[in-house]
Amino acid sequence: MNHGELLKMGEYNHLSIEGCSPDIIRCLYRFMLRLRRCQEALIKEYYPADEMRCPVHFCIGQEASPAALSLLLSQSDYLLSHHRCHGYYLAKGGSMNALFAEIYGRATGANGGIAGSQDISVHDLNFFSGAILSGSVAIAVGVALGFQTKALRSVAVTAFGDGATDQGIFWEAINYAVLRRLPLVFVCENNRYSTYAPLSKRQGKENISERVQSFGMNVKTVFGNDVALLYSVFSNAIEEAREGRGPCFIEAFTYRWNAHVGPGEDDYLGYRSVAEREFWKKNCPIALLEKQMVGQNLMDSKIKEKMIVEIDQEIATAFQFAKESPFPHLKEWSQLNYNIDTPQADRLLETIDSSFFDQNQKEAMPGPY
Amino acid sequence: MKSFMTFRESLSLAVAKEMEADPSVFVFGLDVPDHKRIFGSTKGLVEKFGLERCFGTPLSEDAMTGVALGAALSGLRPIHVHIRVDFMMLAMNQIVNMISNLRYMSGGKLTIPLVIRAVIGRGWGQSAQHSKSLQSFFAHIPGLKVVMPTTPQDAYSLLRTSIRDDNPVIFLEHRWLYDVEGEVDERKTIPLGNATVRRQGDAVTVVATSWMNVEALKAAEVLERRGIQLEVVDVRSITPLDEETIIQSVKKTRRCIVADYDWAFCGFSAELASLIHHRCFNDLKKPVERLGFAPVPCPTTRPLENLFYPSAVHIIRIVEQMLGLEKTDLSGESFYSYEHNFKGPF
Ligand SMILES: Cc1ncc(C[n+]2csc(CCOP(=O)(O)OP(=O)(O)O)c2C)c(N)n1
Repeated sequence: MNHGELLKMGEYNHLSIEGCSPDIIRCLYRFMLRLRRCQEALIKEYYPADEMRCPVHFCIGQEASPAALSLLLSQSDYLLSHHRCHGYYLAKGGSMNALFAEIYGRATGANGGIAGSQDISVHDLNFFSGAILSGSVAIAVGVALGFQTKALRSVAVTAFGDGATDQGIFWEAINYAVLRRLPLVFVCENNRYSTYAPLSKRQGKENISERVQSFGMNVKTVFGNDVALLYSVFSNAIEEAREGRGPCFIEAFTYRWNAHVGPGEDDYLGYRSVAEREFWKKNCPIALLEKQMVGQNLMDSKIKEKMIVEIDQEIATAFQFAKESPFPHLKEWSQLNYNIDTPQADRLLETIDSSFFDQNQKEAMPGPY
Repeated sequence: MKSFMTFRESLSLAVAKEMEADPSVFVFGLDVPDHKRIFGSTKGLVEKFGLERCFGTPLSEDAMTGVALGAALSGLRPIHVHIRVDFMMLAMNQIVNMISNLRYMSGGKLTIPLVIRAVIGRGWGQSAQHSKSLQSFFAHIPGLKVVMPTTPQDAYSLLRTSIRDDNPVIFLEHRWLYDVEGEVDERKTIPLGNATVRRQGDAVTVVATSWMNVEALKAAEVLERRGIQLEVVDVRSITPLDEETIIQSVKKTRRCIVADYDWAFCGFSAELASLIHHRCFNDLKKPVERLGFAPVPCPTTRPLENLFYPSAVHIIRIVEQMLGLEKTDLSGESFYSYEHNFKGPF
């Protein structure tokens, strides 16, 4: 499978909900809709308000993978994702309130405003992300090594884009995971592009899975907007890993609808074809599932309306929570260097004049001093 | 020929001039020929020189740095560009173990004409992994030259000099400087290891790197209203270092703040403070003060980010302490921020 071949398919009509219970199907649908609407709401609010002062990578169009994982991981499993992490954050059970507050830089954010969107983590839930490509892939290998050493039944999952597979460390991590038969699932969301560069301009051959397989890894290549298929593939892989039967690599073909970063669109730049964009919008992960659900009487306009009302209420609450939360308080400043072995550094921290610190700096201009 | 241009334009002009003059010069790196052209600093190059001499790469910083070294060994003059200095960390093996050593190991027979350009510093809530500067880190390694321009003229002239240098040069550009405008004399050459006095004064010398020059000049403007004249010395190149210009200034003012755009602990500011104490021991009226990033990873949220990065306010407060003055009332004063940026000219 590759992106070029997929386009020839036109419409995807293989999505089948036969193997899943109606409950699971509803949960998958609800998760995707919730993620979509939460992203759309953030996008709408981003510029007019100018209160989200950090780069944000939105994941509209890529809701299926986090949705499937959301039903398969327990608290003790680890999920390590990348810069495009909101879906995975929610999949691991992160609250929308703390997500919004983090992006707004508030003390009540998942990381107290210190991490922002692309480095967000929730340590109670064993969720991590990060802005250095492929950075978390090797870390996930180490987490899995910990599980194996302690003979736990937990699983590590690492999610990343096709871009991460350009890096040498990615292949080194794959090799080591196979060598040690670690309880680990690699999820590669192949959306064809790393910023504006298609895979074909970065790799000699568009066959990531094939190459990973040659390391001795179990590999699955799937149409990544088929959430039911992803659910069953992830479910198997996670089960195998839990049972000590080694790691698995899953390549899910999908597409990001928005600009690489920020709330806008960047299609005016012409780096992606109209046909390609239309193909992926036609095969929207939410619409594909909805069609099947309607066919089997699992969904109608009333159910959907109700879901939307609930979700929008949660989103409105999250905005309100974020906006009403305070910025980090100055007293936290002197506690920021947690390395107790560096008294010199602590002294430097103390010398920083913070008399102009303004906790309520809503406006950026003029300076907050 | 003199013309008025932005910092970003001066960089692409410098590269274009060198590429015209020498067919072995080429520029490459992640996003180099893409639509945004590294904040516009590689604009026009692919149109002029084609994809053979101006190209993008896979996300493979480590390998591509080795590629740059190999290309330099085979007689080319590569310019490798990183849109964040943080991404250069993936290539530290090549930089610290290979690139910095080879000329020395060969007894000077080999030349390593290689420039690595990297964007540093504060953006807009960039967090801990997209916000560093790290000149101290690079300057610590023998065999590397480290250059930090502040004005369009310096960016232009120092980049040309760096490309012509037969040693590896790390060229660090603060992203808030790209908008800065100024006059550029295309024929003006500036050697590496040549600091400059940006502003004359007699009260305190502020030795500044990169963006800290903008902050220091702002601090000088505020303090001037109280009759206090700061002298601002722009270091321009960390290695080689122009000790004399700095020492002369400190001998004159007898007070010094090193305002370095990097972490202070074990940093370039410590190096300079040591040098100045050593050479100006009897001239100094106060110990040298240092200013740098707070000793933590960079926080995203604006209130903490404002404390993390040193600013004109920090400089003003230190000057007041050094001179035993009351605090200046800064209300109504507007300082630089992402939204309220500095355009120059200097
Ligand atoms: C080591 C490193 N190099 C470069 C970057 C800059 N960068 C951030 S996101 C990105 C594109 C990543 O593409 P991909 O991994 O496919 O994920 P996607 O953005 O498509 O979800 C790049 C190049 C980075 N974050 N880290």
